[in-house]
Amino acid sequence: MILLAALVLGLAVGLGMARLRGQPYQLPDLRHLWLVFLAFLPQFAIFYIPALREQVPDLWAGIFLTASQALLLGFAWLNRKHPGMLVLLVGAAFNFLVMTANGGFMPINPQTASRLVPQEILEGIPVGSRFGLKDILLKPQDTRFEILADRFLPPEWSAYQVAFSLGDVFLAVGVFWLLASQPQNALNQKGF
Amino acid sequence: MKNKLNSLVLSVSKINREHIQVFFIVLSLAMLVLGVGAPEDGGYGSR
Repeated sequence: MILLAALVLGLAVGLGMARLRGQPYQLPDLRHLWLVFLAFLPQFAIFYIPALREQVPDLWAGIFLTASQALLLGFAWLNRKHPGMLVLLVGAAFNFLVMTANGGFMPINPQTASRLVPQEILEGIPVGSRFGLKDILLKPQDTRFEILADRFLPPEWSAYQVAFSLGDVFLAVGVFWLLASQPQNALNQKGF
Repeated sequence: MKNKLNSLVLSVSKINREHIQVFFIVLSLAMLVLGVGAPEDGGYGSR
């Protein structure tokens, strides 16, 4: 949700800036888009379709997720010349590193998780098992690269509670920058 | 009349192509950040 919000905000700012300057809005000319579809669609099937999510064993889900993220990292690397993509690439690399080092899933500690679900539900989830979509419940001392785990939270008074990682912050900044920035010569190019 | 029709068809096809390009680029970026991102709001519960 927070990543999609950054994307929508970046698009809105980019469109607004282009309109203010009287220029056509110029989207980044991304190459190898097929790679994103190839990488994400299996991940979407396994993680976002409940019937499939229940059937795929955790081991295979972790392997698929790692492979999918490796392909997406490749896509970001191939498009690294675009402003914002390097920041996004750093975020993707951070998440890839911490998830690969912890069995393919993003670690979250029980204290952070307790802000997301009621205590009685959390008590029923053993440490070491999957939590939510891509996370795994792990104690901080059992987590590799704990600083890169889902350990950040919005203020307690916020109605929307979400745990996010340092990598997610870089991803949000990167995608915002990618869509909000406009090339200097946008006037001479095709636009939207 | 034929010229007007041709230019109308041309501009409609151009708009469609541009809109489709925009749609695919934004969709690809959404898939990219969802694919590499891992924020968790507890909405899916546990497995």
